[in-house]
Amino acid sequence: MKKITLDKLSELYIRISQEYDLFVPSDEEGVVSFTPWKDDSNVDFDVLKTNLSPKSFIFPQCETLFNFKSEGKKLSIERLKNDENKFLIFGVRPCDVKAFHLLDNVFLREPMDRLYEEKRNRGTIISMGCIEPEDTCFCNSFNIDPLCAQKGVDVFTLKIKNNIFWKVETQKGRDLTVMLSGLLEEASEDDLKEIELVKESLNSKLEELPYFNIDPQKIDRSLIELFESNVWDEISKSCLGCGSCTYVCPTCHCYDIQDYDGGKGGERFRCWDSCMYSDFTLMAHGNPRTTQKERFRQRFMHKLVYYPNNFNEYACVGCGRCVEKCPVNMNIVKVIRELGGENK
Amino acid sequence: MSCGCNDYIDPLIPQIAVIKSIRTDTKDVSTFIVEKPEGGKCFDFKPGQCAMVSVPPIGEAIFSITSSPTEKNFMEFSIKRCGKVTEYLHNLEVDTEIGVRGPYGNNFPVNDELIGKDLLFIAGGIGLAPLRSVINYVMDNRDAYGKVDIVYGARTSGDLVHRNDIFKNWPASVNTNVHLTVDREEDGWDGNVGFVPNYVKELKFETNKVALVCGPPIMIKYVLLALEELGFSKDQVYTTLELKMKCGIGKCGRCNIGDKYVCKDGPVFRCDEIKQLPDEY
Amino acid sequence: MEEITLKTREIAYKDLSTGKVDRVIGFAKGDFIYESNPTFISDIDELDALVWDSFCVNNLSKYLINELKDVKKIGIFLKGCDSLGFNQLVQDNKVDSDNVLVYGVPCEGMVDPNKLKKDNLLKGLIDIKRSGEKILLITKQGDKELKAKEYEYDKCINCKHPNPVVYSELLGDYITRNNNVVDDFQEIKEIEAMNSEERFDYWSKQFSKCIRCYACRNICPVCSCDKCIFENYEPGISGKGKVDSEDQFFHIIRAYHVAGRCVDCGECSRVCPEGISIDKLNRKIIKDITEIYGEYDAGLNTSKSSVLVNYELEDFDPFESIKGGK
Repeated sequence: MKKITLDKLSELYIRISQEYDLFVPSDEEGVVSFTPWKDDSNVDFDVLKTNLSPKSFIFPQCETLFNFKSEGKKLSIERLKNDENKFLIFGVRPCDVKAFHLLDNVFLREPMDRLYEEKRNRGTIISMGCIEPEDTCFCNSFNIDPLCAQKGVDVFTLKIKNNIFWKVETQKGRDLTVMLSGLLEEASEDDLKEIELVKESLNSKLEELPYFNIDPQKIDRSLIELFESNVWDEISKSCLGCGSCTYVCPTCHCYDIQDYDGGKGGERFRCWDSCMYSDFTLMAHGNPRTTQKERFRQRFMHKLVYYPNNFNEYACVGCGRCVEKCPVNMNIVKVIRELGGENK
Repeated sequence: MSCGCNDYIDPLIPQIAVIKSIRTDTKDVSTFIVEKPEGGKCFDFKPGQCAMVSVPPIGEAIFSITSSPTEKNFMEFSIKRCGKVTEYLHNLEVDTEIGVRGPYGNNFPVNDELIGKDLLFIAGGIGLAPLRSVINYVMDNRDAYGKVDIVYGARTSGDLVHRNDIFKNWPASVNTNVHLTVDREEDGWDGNVGFVPNYVKELKFETNKVALVCGPPIMIKYVLLALEELGFSKDQVYTTLELKMKCGIGKCGRCNIGDKYVCKDGPVFRCDEIKQLPDEY
Repeated sequence: MEEITLKTREIAYKDLSTGKVDRVIGFAKGDFIYESNPTFISDIDELDALVWDSFCVNNLSKYLINELKDVKKIGIFLKGCDSLGFNQLVQDNKVDSDNVLVYGVPCEGMVDPNKLKKDNLLKGLIDIKRSGEKILLITKQGDKELKAKEYEYDKCINCKHPNPVVYSELLGDYITRNNNVVDDFQEIKEIEAMNSEERFDYWSKQFSKCIRCYACRNICPVCSCDKCIFENYEPGISGKGKVDSEDQFFHIIRAYHVAGRCVDCGECSRVCPEGISIDKLNRKIIKDITEIYGEYDAGLNTSKSSVLVNYELEDFDPFESIKGGK
């Protein structure tokens, strides 16, 4: 276990940014999100959740698939050159890292999504555990330990008082640590004891969280029973049909493919889309989901029933972003409760 | 899987193909013959699979490949004009280049469940297009399969597609019967008159067959009811589902129904599988 | 707000049980003390869920469009700003006021949980009591008194309509707000004072944050088209790509589509997950309309048609004085 004191952090950033495109959670006008590090960045590791999740590093809101030129009867298609820059995201919370893994299940299964794979390989992830949960957190309900490195993390860190503790998890993390030697010191016995104390106190804090009793495993009805349940009429009523929840959610991955017409040529791109939008399933001859209730049901059935049927994991990480951002306070916790997923 | 570049396969990037001929079948259906620019089939596939046809910048749409994979030199798409992309395709000329990627979806189990069985194909309107791939595959491997009955109907005789096959080639094949019907009486038509589901009931098929059904959703619904009345069980009937598809590889979420993706786990489903899906198609 | 909660339940019970309304739209508590969520009650046994407190910030009037397709008559709890939206919906022929009973609730301003969170005041929060310019926080660690102006929603700070402008029943006494002579358009003037490059940079930066979630459009009571122009993806109108110009167009076009009808309820900025101050665009248009055509009155009543669709011979003609055209 290594550590670095907070006053040495700016040197760390400078060193990292010499080799990587470095992204840190920084506060701009009151909103904290992962932005490229600059020396006047207002880095904030105390806010648990960034505004938007870091999924945009591996699944950007908008990316070009290829350029095309269409002249007369001729068509040519040109793939873009790969971006070669390594990037590093510093401070990804365990819930968001788990979300990466949930997205991997979809994008990396055959046939593999090459753009996603390429970004995933280029990125280095320094995760930061959470020592103080928020009321809107319920990662525990999905078996995510906020003090543990999730699979796929290169370096796991913990910010405790004046130190950031640093633990290597992969070869990539080891290489990075070697590059930073001189800035990192060994953690002392006292430090390790302190970490243990923090871990213990966190467990009791987790038990006091309002969402501690949420347990999706308790939903035990069949797919069709849940689909045809009449809870959906009530709970979908206030839904506005905007895309806020889908866009801030770290595991939502629906996208659209569109062509951008630039005259003689253009580009085909893909961009985030939301199953909450009325035209998501619109076809030339009809729309199977014409009401907001059906669309609302689709989103939650997908996260809590369909995805688990295929991958044995729930497509939610308990980050609580939807709880905070929904304009009418509709969120997955309420749905899980209505479907019976709660330890009474 | 098709590929747009030389080094590795990216399933979202189409390859360039050329329209070699366009045959107008009905007032809104045309059949396109598509080849690689240097000649030959764009990629190999199995009967019932689909491909994404791209006409940038208008867009992309998924179509069943209507030719059988036994046809080595080209691929055929029978396309009905009903939206932006199809309208644009209908106005193209021969020798225009388009993008094609695929094959997507599962296929009718021609090498498994269907081997040695008597087959009953039921199609309506443009629904013949996906089934034709299977029928021609069966015709080209005739000995591997039993008796073949084809029930095909359309609104009017002018809407019947693949006329060479339904009037000449298939009736001429051994142990194969073609039953055609149109919805209403019309001059010059002396074949059966009536909706496809009713015709199926009238023909009183025995149930020792595998049925494959394709057509407009309302027709499929009533045909399935008719088959049930005749005594067919759900695991003897195959059909196709159609939902809006974009990526074709089961990732963008658009065609997600229940825990399946129509583009990846379908479009061919057995009816007992469909019973387990939510009623949203 | 105990008394007012009881009043809301009383009136809802009275009208639901006598069949005067088929459904009531109001607020119910969510998981957290700072959550009061829209609720739809048709069953008198469920009326105990109704509450009214300092967190009932949503404008419920837009739900009427869909709910009235479901039931005949609806009772709805509206604040001042909400009632302006309601009037506008009636004027736009989206809601038939004959089928709606408005239970007006005078409002001193709603408390913004995000502001409380920033100052770490949410921990252990049990209840909030509002009286005039003060907020009393009742927490597990003791009570704390705060200045309301510091923790109200931005949109409440310069509230001009604390009292509903239309109602069938008024629940509570009329409120007068002491706004301390604040220039409504102070922030707008600051932006107007920038030169065109600075202004472009300011707005580009704001709109670069936009993720096109359409929360602003969906919550706006005045944005009520059955098929929004931004759901038409024909190339040339608007695409889905994250293109700066298209994001900017979205906001500018939407501001112009609601021009003259925007009731300045501030919901658009409140719901934006990226914190874009969308309402400044709308307020700029309101300022211009006020200067050209006189007192802005969208949503105040339904008898006069909206200022921009209304032509009178005496109307000020900007082309004359400002010498418009080439």
